[in-house]
Amino acid sequence: MKALMSLGALVGVVGLLLLAGMIFDVIPSNTIRLVEGYMPMQMLFEVGCYVLGFTGLSYMLNAMGMGIPRFWQGIGFWIFFLLYIKYRVYPPIPFSVRAMYGTVGLVAVLMWVSANEEDWKKFKQPILNVLDAQTGFNKVLRYVYLVALPILTWGFSYNAMMPKSEEPIELRTVHPAPPASTKVHGKTYVLQTSLNPYRVNPEGKYDQEYSNSLIVEQGMGRLMKPNANPWDEKAEGYLKYVREGGEIFFQNCHFCHGDNLNGRGLHAFAFNPIPANFTDPGTIAQLQETFIFWRVAKGGIGLPNEGFPWASVMPPWEQHLTVDEMWKVILFEYWHTGYYPRTWD
Amino acid sequence: MQNSGTQKAGLVLSIAFGAVLMTVGMEIPAFAQGGIPEGFKKGELAAPPSAEMIEAGKRVYFTKCVWCHGVDGAGDGPGADRLWPRPRNFNQGTFKIRHTASGELPLFDAKKPVRGQNDLFDTVTHGLPGSAMPPWEGILTEEQRLQVLAFVTTQLVKDRSFTDKQSETQTILNMAELKPKSATEESIKRGAELVVEKKCIECHGLEGRGDGNAFNLKDDWGFSIQPANWHKCWNFRGSRQDPYSVVNIFRTFSTGINGTPMPSFADNTTIDERWDIANFVNSLCERDEDGKPLSIDPLTDKPKINFVIPSNMVEGDIPADIEDEAWKNAPRRYVAMGGQITHKPRNFVNRIDDIWVRSLYNDKSIAYLLEWDDRTKSVAEGKLPWAPTEVNIDIQEQEPTTGEEGSIAAKQNNYPVYNDAIAIETPVKWKELPAPIKPRYLFGTNEQFPVDIVKWEADGSIRAFKGTGWDKDFEERDNYEEHLKVLKSEWKNGRWYVMIERPLGNKKDQDYDEDTFFEVGQYIPTVFFAWDGHNGDAGRKMAVSAFYYTFMNPPIPQETYIYPVVIAVGVVFLEGWVLTRRANKKKGKTL
Repeated sequence: MKALMSLGALVGVVGLLLLAGMIFDVIPSNTIRLVEGYMPMQMLFEVGCYVLGFTGLSYMLNAMGMGIPRFWQGIGFWIFFLLYIKYRVYPPIPFSVRAMYGTVGLVAVLMWVSANEEDWKKFKQPILNVLDAQTGFNKVLRYVYLVALPILTWGFSYNAMMPKSEEPIELRTVHPAPPASTKVHGKTYVLQTSLNPYRVNPEGKYDQEYSNSLIVEQGMGRLMKPNANPWDEKAEGYLKYVREGGEIFFQNCHFCHGDNLNGRGLHAFAFNPIPANFTDPGTIAQLQETFIFWRVAKGGIGLPNEGFPWASVMPPWEQHLTVDEMWKVILFEYWHTGYYPRTWD
Repeated sequence: MQNSGTQKAGLVLSIAFGAVLMTVGMEIPAFAQGGIPEGFKKGELAAPPSAEMIEAGKRVYFTKCVWCHGVDGAGDGPGADRLWPRPRNFNQGTFKIRHTASGELPLFDAKKPVRGQNDLFDTVTHGLPGSAMPPWEGILTEEQRLQVLAFVTTQLVKDRSFTDKQSETQTILNMAELKPKSATEESIKRGAELVVEKKCIECHGLEGRGDGNAFNLKDDWGFSIQPANWHKCWNFRGSRQDPYSVVNIFRTFSTGINGTPMPSFADNTTIDERWDIANFVNSLCERDEDGKPLSIDPLTDKPKINFVIPSNMVEGDIPADIEDEAWKNAPRRYVAMGGQITHKPRNFVNRIDDIWVRSLYNDKSIAYLLEWDDRTKSVAEGKLPWAPTEVNIDIQEQEPTTGEEGSIAAKQNNYPVYNDAIAIETPVKWKELPAPIKPRYLFGTNEQFPVDIVKWEADGSIRAFKGTGWDKDFEERDNYEEHLKVLKSEWKNGRWYVMIERPLGNKKDQDYDEDTFFEVGQYIPTVFFAWDGHNGDAGRKMAVSAFYYTFMNPPIPQETYIYPVVIAVGVVFLEGWVLTRRANKKKGKTL
């Protein structure tokens, strides 16, 4: 038990040091911060670990006779939580969202300190002490509060009322509902029934199982399967078309979507929001191939009204590419990221 | 505190270093030992990588690298012809960023992924900013990066050999023992004199904006190459994702850049002089109002962007002098520019990649001060073969596959020259678009939601247009141009300074069918377009920004002073109430 608690304490201390490092920018921000592709679950899991760590830490401190009063534990954890959501993630979470999480966090802390009558008393005690003190330090503290509170309130509200020029927050629909069909180069494609004509086995038959067995492997690097090199001269069917799609991608798309399809292309820094990251499980991995076909063909300009704001400079690729080329690029994108397109069933 | 600590450590180190030098000095002549330039030491090629590593590296190469660098590593992959600079041709074994003497192979050891001691590994890890080579850290594991380099150095480098200790020498810049000189004013001043003396400015330009002899320089493969712009250190190829570091500048200056006209200065400068120059070059890189380095966005390795361009109010006329207090106090914003690659003709290589914008307004008009680096002043000779309103200009975009001769890199020095130009686009009916909605960024949505475009060209003209769609010709607003003013337009040492003044719009009846009404305290979507005449930019071949916002800072309303006081007084009453209640409770009374 003791060993477990000291392990927890270690986790707590290391966590606190890491967070301090992030706040003061001692730790390079691009190594330890959650920069992209993180899941809310990951943050929740981390906070959970911290809670366990702090439990251990508080146990150890108690054992050493240096226990922290419940009052300060509660406040300390809330401050920790606020700093955590502010500094853990890059780009930073907007203030309005953090305020929401912060309130939820405060409620959680209050529930914890008021779990039973005794705890609640312990928590209230320092406040009452200050309120009731007739002599000594607590009395001084009370007068300090009496003066400081109005001044601080005045300062905060003045600050809040000063006109500011912060970037207005824009919400946007990432995956607007697609139309039932789309007309590209004079031909109508029904999104529910269309198939990628290049997802074929060497015999030329549409074969999703075959193509899925040849995509790159998940895990760091996402490398191609051994013996499934699209650049092999003998490559046929699916793999050959993957190479052709890649050629088109690197002549047209990588400028924005990047050499690793992660939305960090040559021109990406100039755009807001930056281009879609296909390696993120929230983009092409969640969509049908025909949805991608519609988005590629029609671009940002073809977004439906509910796709407001049109914050997309995605070209309508039908202006630049043939239908075959677009299907091949899509084939390549799924191959390179190692995702399967979603199917209708 | 941190500073004094570093200084102390530096002092101790320099004393130690001096002591070492003195003992060495007794045995060997102080300068250049056996033809080795100052600051370098002899080294050896690393052991060749194992066959398994090379085989594993091949798999990495054919997943990630082949698309630009090509099947044989000749820098001729499918993406190559639309890129400038072109992807590296590995065959000759010529690599730019090294710790080795000029002409030598870079440091590479397949077993030692140590920063600063493994040049090729650092290049793959951190990428080459300003080119299409991205940082592969976080995408490929350390092992995968070493594997792919094992493959490249043994199989794709053909004219030289990373494994032949007979034919290749290694003379290594001994960075571990060279400690940066602190960037005092004196050191920077000496550096400023040295860049003139060492003729750096012949290529890098009088102000270091890379405008000297621009586009006449060629690399080993005959492609145009441009000298670095010292004011944009985040684009330094060798910046290793640490752009404000003098160490990288010192290294590049000491070793030169193989395959380019940038020589090594190791033989004709002392170490001390090299630090002075590095300190000077580093001091030129753009900084914020307080002289601090700009914060770099880890997602893009470029300066962080603030999308709001605040405009300060001035009384009376807007000053035309950049040195005026009002302009000096106006906040400066970095506006990132990318190539227009949405509609034909796409601009795959935009030479203008940022603009610095400031703004002021008075009761009648608003002025923008736009400053951007452009290595060449371009004014079209004679009349342009199209009307200024024409959008669908017949300019060919780069074909995808042309081979080296027809590639975009081969064309950089011989485009027809058009006018440099800049334009500010604002939506006309921004108020009728619900808050988050913007018009199409390229030349407006349609007749119902047009945009107001003010365009200045290097021939001195300024025009106002109405744009109604990406492929619709502009409509010229003849009667409006007399309201526009160019307060300043000057090209100096590789930089344009253009100040444009325009009316705030029709305030009286708010009938804004044609021109944007600039309203105080509102976010007005603003887009910038830029054309570099020597890049053959015209029509839709241009550089574009994302949507920014012009925000005219309102005067502070009176409520700001009153309400906080009211709230504070309220808090005092609340405190009184709580305390009284508490006191009564203790005395046994209840309210």
